[in-house]
Amino acid sequence: MKLNKQNFKIVIILLSMTSLMGCSDEYLEETEEYTIDSENYFNSEQDYIDALIGAYDPLQSTYVNVLLGEIASDNTVSGGESATDVIGFQQVDEMNHTPVNDNIDDVWDWNFAGVQRANYILEFRDKTDFEGKDRIIAETRFLRAYFNFELVKWFGPIPLSGDQRFQLGDETSVPRSPVSEVYAQIESDLQFAIDNMDYTAPQIGRATKGSAQALLGKVYLYQDNFQQAADVLEDVIESGQYHLYGTQADEDYTNLFEQVGENSAESVFEIQYTGEEGAGFECLQCSEGNVAVGFQGIRNYTGPVFEPGFSFNLPVEEVYNLFEENDIRRDYSVLDIEAWAAETGATYVEGYKHTGYYNRKYLPRQNNNVGDANLTQPNNYRAIRYADVLLMAAEALNRGGINDQLAQNYLNMVRGRAGLEPVNATGASLTDAIYEDRRLELVGEGHRFFDLVRTGRAANAIEGFTPNKNELFPIPLEEIEFSQGNWEQNPGY
Amino acid sequence: MKKFTCLLIVFLSGFFGAYAQSFSVSGLVSDENNMPLLGVNVIVKGESRGTTTDFDGNYTVENISLGDVLQYSYVGFETREITINDQQIINVTLQTDSESLEEVVVIGYGTQQRKDITGSVSVVSDEAIRGLQPIQTTQALQGTTSGVVVTQTSGAPGASLNINIRGIASNTENGPLVIIDGYQTDVQSLSNLNPSDVESMTILKDAQAAIYGVAGANGVILVTTKTGELNMAPTVSYDTYYGVQETSRQVPLLNATEYALLLNESYANGGQDLIFPDVSELGDGTDFQDAVFQTSPIISHNLGLSGGTEKVTYSVGGSHLRQEGIIAPEKTQYKRSTAKVSLGVEISDAFDIDFNTIYTNIDRNSINENGLGSVLFNALNIAPTFDIDQEDQTGFLGNEIINPLSQIENTYNEYNLDKFNGTFGLNFSPIDELVFTSRIGYNFGKSDEKIFSPIADFGPGKVFNVTRSTVNQNRINDNNYTFDLFGKYENTFNDAHHITLTGGMTVIRNWGDGLYATGYDVPNNSWEFADISLTTGTSTEKSNDSYVYDIRKLSFFGRVQYDFQGKYLVSGMLRRDSSTRFSPENRTDYFPSVTAGWIISEESFLEDSDLLSFLKLRGSYGILGNDEVGQNQFYRALLDGEATYVLDGQLINGRALGGLPNPSAKWEEAEKMNLGVDLRMLNNKIDITTDIFREERRDLLIPFIPVSGIFGTGAPGGSSPTVNAGTTVNQGVEFSIKYSENIGNDFNFNVGYNVTYIDNEVTEVNGAEFIAGGAFGVGQPQPSRFEEGHSIGYFYGYKTDGLFQTQAEADAAPSQMALGAEAQAGDIKYVDINNDGVINTDDRTDIGDPIADVTMGLNFSMNYKNFDFSAYAYASLGNDMVRNYERNQPNVNRPAYYLERWRGPGTSNEVPRLTTGATSNNVLSEFYVEDASYARIQNVQLGYSLPDDLLERIKIDRLRIYASVNNLYTFTKYKGFDPSATTGEPIGGGIDYGFYPVPRIFSFGVNLTL
Repeated sequence: MKLNKQNFKIVIILLSMTSLMGCSDEYLEETEEYTIDSENYFNSEQDYIDALIGAYDPLQSTYVNVLLGEIASDNTVSGGESATDVIGFQQVDEMNHTPVNDNIDDVWDWNFAGVQRANYILEFRDKTDFEGKDRIIAETRFLRAYFNFELVKWFGPIPLSGDQRFQLGDETSVPRSPVSEVYAQIESDLQFAIDNMDYTAPQIGRATKGSAQALLGKVYLYQDNFQQAADVLEDVIESGQYHLYGTQADEDYTNLFEQVGENSAESVFEIQYTGEEGAGFECLQCSEGNVAVGFQGIRNYTGPVFEPGFSFNLPVEEVYNLFEENDIRRDYSVLDIEAWAAETGATYVEGYKHTGYYNRKYLPRQNNNVGDANLTQPNNYRAIRYADVLLMAAEALNRGGINDQLAQNYLNMVRGRAGLEPVNATGASLTDAIYEDRRLELVGEGHRFFDLVRTGRAANAIEGFTPNKNELFPIPLEEIEFSQGNWEQNPGY
Repeated sequence: MKKFTCLLIVFLSGFFGAYAQSFSVSGLVSDENNMPLLGVNVIVKGESRGTTTDFDGNYTVENISLGDVLQYSYVGFETREITINDQQIINVTLQTDSESLEEVVVIGYGTQQRKDITGSVSVVSDEAIRGLQPIQTTQALQGTTSGVVVTQTSGAPGASLNINIRGIASNTENGPLVIIDGYQTDVQSLSNLNPSDVESMTILKDAQAAIYGVAGANGVILVTTKTGELNMAPTVSYDTYYGVQETSRQVPLLNATEYALLLNESYANGGQDLIFPDVSELGDGTDFQDAVFQTSPIISHNLGLSGGTEKVTYSVGGSHLRQEGIIAPEKTQYKRSTAKVSLGVEISDAFDIDFNTIYTNIDRNSINENGLGSVLFNALNIAPTFDIDQEDQTGFLGNEIINPLSQIENTYNEYNLDKFNGTFGLNFSPIDELVFTSRIGYNFGKSDEKIFSPIADFGPGKVFNVTRSTVNQNRINDNNYTFDLFGKYENTFNDAHHITLTGGMTVIRNWGDGLYATGYDVPNNSWEFADISLTTGTSTEKSNDSYVYDIRKLSFFGRVQYDFQGKYLVSGMLRRDSSTRFSPENRTDYFPSVTAGWIISEESFLEDSDLLSFLKLRGSYGILGNDEVGQNQFYRALLDGEATYVLDGQLINGRALGGLPNPSAKWEEAEKMNLGVDLRMLNNKIDITTDIFREERRDLLIPFIPVSGIFGTGAPGGSSPTVNAGTTVNQGVEFSIKYSENIGNDFNFNVGYNVTYIDNEVTEVNGAEFIAGGAFGVGQPQPSRFEEGHSIGYFYGYKTDGLFQTQAEADAAPSQMALGAEAQAGDIKYVDINNDGVINTDDRTDIGDPIADVTMGLNFSMNYKNFDFSAYAYASLGNDMVRNYERNQPNVNRPAYYLERWRGPGTSNEVPRLTTGATSNNVLSEFYVEDASYARIQNVQLGYSLPDDLLERIKIDRLRIYASVNNLYTFTKYKGFDPSATTGEPIGGGIDYGFYPVPRIFSFGVNLTL
C-alpha cells in the first residue's frame, strides 16, 4: 500500500549511508592539534636556530671520545677504583676490548645522534627561507663533519644517509660506506662551511670559518693529503685570527686550561660546558658539564685548587719524564700528585693503576657547580687549539716535502711558548721532532692514539696493540645484530 | 493511587464501530500462584488492537465478536489463546514459560533471546544492583558475574575503579569498552552513573564482542538505563538511605613504650647510644591511626517518575548522593547529583524515536592517598611518642615523614564535573522484517579543579614543606559522540531457517582540551582567597599549559545470524575499523569472528527429559583489537629531546628530536576462543553456565625497544621506539550455578555461586628482556616486571630461606655483601638462585604476582512473607601484595609484628633483627611480599515490605524499609589495611603504600512507590 513511499525512504537512508562512507577518508584526516612534531617544524628562522642548538648539544657527549681515546694511547692508563671499575675503559687500556663494550657503544650512539640531529636540519633545509640561512646550514654541516670525523676515526667505514635522517630499517639496508666516501662527505661539508661562515661567530661557542678550516686540515692530514692540509691550515694561520695563548699581554700560559683561558684566541674550536645543570649516571650524555673531568679527578682528594673525582685516565711516568725540565708545559699538563700533596698538604687515595700523575689540563677545579659535582664540571674542552693547527701545518709541510723551513717556524712557535730552544732539524728528524712535540703539547687532550694510528706508529708505541686490528675499534655487537648481516665487523674482532 | 487503572486503552477498531453484535470482554490475568499479572498484552489475534492488564491484572477489550481469538502474552510466561464464544468475563491463568528463556539480551547493535546466544554473555540485573547498593555503578559488577574483576584504586569517596574482564592482557590499557544506551565510553563514565538509573548491564566476554572490533578486545559492557513502559500508569518512586561509615581495619602498630624499647634495641644492635634511656613514662603514646580515622555519613536520595501511554513512554528522575571520607571527612567528600529524562514515541507504525539525556554533577575533594607521603603512610610511620599536634622539628623521622594531621590541615582541593550525556535514536521499520536504526550518542563533560598549596612548615628539611603558596587551577573539556546507522533484517523461511542480517556503520569522535594554570602567592595564605585572580606572584618558569585532542574512528560492520529449527545456531561478524590513533598506513583493519551453538535439549532424544530442562553447547572464535593503547600516537616524532647547549656562557635551549617514532606501530590484537555449556535442570531450578576460554593478545606495544644507535636514540632526551613486540595469554575456566526454589507461597530463595580461574602469562617480549614498573622503598630498583614466562607485573626480588640463627650460619652462607652488608645472626637468609656462591642482583627471581588465580562470588537472596534478605560475598585467591608502607628509616614506628622479631637463636625465623647498622634486610624479598588472598562479605541486607492491605489504606503502592551493611567483614591474612588494594596498573599494581581502606557502611533505607 505504501510500499513506494517506504522504498523511497530506504533509498534515502542508503544514500546517506553511502555518502558518509564516501567522505570517510576525509573524516579521518580532519584532525587539528596544536602540537609540534618533526614533520611540521622548520617554519621560521628561530626553528632552525633552535634545531641547530639541538645539533650542538651532542658535542658535549664527545667527552667520552676524548677520555677513552687518551686511555687507548700510551700517554695514560685507565685507573679508576679497581680492575672492574668501568670495565669498558679497563679493556681499552689493556687493548683487549671486544665488540661488547658499553663505552665504545657510547661513542657510536652519541656521535651518530649528533649526525642524526644535523641531518634532521638538512632534510628540511629548503622548507623555509630567511636571510642568513646559509650560515645555519654551514654550521650544521660543520657539526655533521665533526661527528662523522669522530666516527670514521673510531670505526672506519660507517653508514651514511645523505642529507636526511636514518629511518627504521636502514640498519639492515644501508651499507657502511668506505672510508674514502665518508671523508669525501666530510670534506664537502667543511668546504661548504668554510665558504659560508666568517671568522667571527655570532655567539661564543659556535663554529667559525677558522674552525672549519682547521678541521678540514686535520681531515686532510689523516688521509696524508699533505698539500691540501698545508694549504687550508695556512689559511687559518694567515687569517690572523689566532695566536698562542700566553704570547700576548695580559695572558699567562699557565691559565690556558683554567676558566679564564676558555674561548681564548688560541681556541679554534671549543666545546662548551657549564656547571649549572647536571645529570645522573643513567644519562651521562644529558649533563651540561664535562663528565670526563670528574672521571679524571683525584681520588678522594681534599686540598686546595682541585675537587675530587674518580681517578681515571692517569698519565704515565714516561710522558712526564719526556718533558724537558724547563718545559713550562710539564707541570701544567701533568700533575705530580705526590709533589703537590707534599707542597700543599693535600690528601688523596691511590686508586687502581695509580701512577702518581694526573691529567692537570682537565682536572676538576673548585667551583660552585650544581647536582652531582663529579658529572657537572664546567671545564670547556679545547677541541682544536691554535697550537694543534701550527703542529699540523708543520707536519704537513714537512712530511709533504713542501717547506721544512716553514715547518720549523711553526714548530718553534709552539716550542718557544713552552720556553724551549728552537729546533733546526730538517727531513725525517724534523718529523720526529714534530711528533714528539705534538705528543707533549697535546697530552691529555685525546689526540695521541689517533696520531699514532694515522702515522703507523701505534704498534710500537702501545702495549698490546695488534696491527691490522686495533687501528679501528669494533662495531658494537648489538649494532652488528641489529644490522642482520648488513654490516660486517671490523677486521680482527 | 495505583487504584486507578491504566486508562490508556485504545480501541483501534472502535472508530469503525460498524461491526454488528460486538460486545466487550473483561477479566483478570494471574499467574499459577494467583498473583495478578500487570502489563499482560491482550490482543485480538489477527488485528492490531488490544490492551494490557492494569496493576490488579484486570483488562477489558471491547468490540469483540464471536469467534475472535484473544491472545494473552507476557514475558517469561507461555502465551495463551482463547477463542470467544459468548463469555464476557474471562479470567486467565498464565503458566511460567517452561524454558523461561525468552529473556531478551542486548548484544550490541541488536538484541537476542537468551537461549539463542552463542557467545559468552552475562547479565547483571537491577535486582543485583539493588541488593549490592553500590555507591558507584561499577561496584555492582564485583562478584555478581564470573570472569569480571573490579578493583578499587582507593577506599576514598569517589575513587576510581578498574574493571578487568577475563584477566589482564595488555601492558597498558585493560579497561573494557562501556556502552551506555548506545554511546561508547569508558569505565569512568559507568562509575559516574547513578546506580538507580541502570536497568541492566550486559557483559560480552568473548568473540561476541567482535562486533565492536578495535574497541572490543578488553570486553564490552552494555548498559541499558531505565525507561518507562507503554501503557503504564505514572509511577513515582523514592529511594533513600542513610549510612554511617567506619574504617574496616587499622594496622596494629607499636605503642609508644614498645616503640621506644624496640628503637633502643635497634640502636644498641647498631652500636649506638640509646634514644630513650627511660621508657617508663611513655605509656601508649599517641595513636595516629585513631586520630585520622573517623566515622562519617553517607546519604542517598533517588526520586523518579515513569510511565507510558499507548504511544509514548517517559521517565524522569533525579538523585543526590553525598559521601564523606573516613579520613578527614570535612576535606574528603564525594557528592553526585544526577537528573535523567527519557522519552520514547511511536510516531507511526513505521517510525519511532527514543531520546534520553542524563545530567551528572560531581563534586569531590580528596587527600593525599596511596603513595609515599600519603596521610596513611605518615600515620603508620610517625613516632607514637609524638604529641598529636607535634611537628618533627628535629628531623628525627627523616625528610619524608610528617604529622598526618598537619598534612590534612594543609590539604585544600576541589574537583567539579558537569556533564550531559545521552542518546537520540530513530527506528524506521518499512516492513516487519526490516528495521533501520539511526542513533547518536553524545557526552559533553566539563571539569574543573583547584588545588591550593599553602605555605607550610612540617619541620626542617621536610620535602612537603611549601615556602611559597600556589594555587593550581585547571579546566578540562571532554566530548564525544557515537553515531550509529544500521539496519537489521530478520525472517524465518520454511518455518526452519531463521536468519538475521545486521549491517551498518559507526562514527566516533572524541575530542577535548585542557587548560592548566598556576598562581603564586595566595593572599593571606588562605583557601578563601585561593584563586589565580587574586594572586600577584610570578614565576620564572612557565606556569600555564594546555592540550587539545581529537581522535576519530570510522567503522563498518556486518553480522549474519542463522539458526535451523532453533537448534543449530551460527553467526558470523566482520568489522572494518579505522582509528586516528595510528598512522594513516596502519589505521585500518578487519576484525572477523564466528560463533556457533547447538541446543541439544531441542533434539528429540532429550525433549521430554525431566531432569534436563535446557542444554546448549556453544563456541566462539574471533579477532578483536584494542586501540586505547595508542594514546601517545607512537607513529609521530615529537620534538621533546633535550637540546641544551652553552653559548655566550649561558645555558640555551633549542629543540631536538626526542623518542624515535615507530611509523608501523599498530593496535593490539586479541585472538579469543571460547567453549561453553548452558544447562538448566529440574524445571529450571538449577541453572549452570560454564565456559573455558583462551585469549592470545598480540602486538602489545612495548616501550623502549632498543634499536641501532644510528637513529640517534642515544642523544639526551632521546629514547627507543615503542614497538608491537609483546604477547600475553590468558586462559581459564568460568563456572556459575544458580539455584532457585519456592517453598509454599511464602518462601522462596536464590543461591548463586560463580568461580573464575585464570592463568596469565607473558609469552613474548621481542627485542627487550622486560618492562619494569612500580616502586619499592626509596631508591630501589623497580619491583614489577613484564617478562616472558611470567605473569604480567610479577614481583622481581629475592627468595628467602628464613633467618640466620647464628653467626656461624651466616658466615658459612654465600656472601650477601652486594645487598648492603655482610649477614649477621638475625638477618634474612637469601637463596642463591644461580648457585654461584654469592648473593647479588643476579639472584633475583619471581616472588609473586598481584593477579588473582581464582575469583569467586557467592550471592544469596530470600523472601519470606514480607521479609527479604540478601547477602553478597566475593573472594580473591592467589593475589600477592608488596608491603611498602614501612618507611626504611631508623626512627619511624613499626607494625606490631616486629614484637616477634629475632632476638637470639630460635626466637624468630621470619622477622629479622632490628638494627640501625647497615643490613641487607631492606631489599625487595619474599619478606615484603604477602599473600593477599581474601574473602569479603560485601553486602548484607534485610528488608521488610509493609503489607498490602495496610498500604492500600494509606494509598501507597509499596513501602519497604531495610538495613544493610556494606563491606561487613574480610577474611584475610594480609597485614595491611585492605587486601583489595591495587592501583590497577598492569605493571606496578599490588604495591601497598598504606592503602586507603574501603569503608564499612551501616545503613538504613526506605523504598517507596506511589
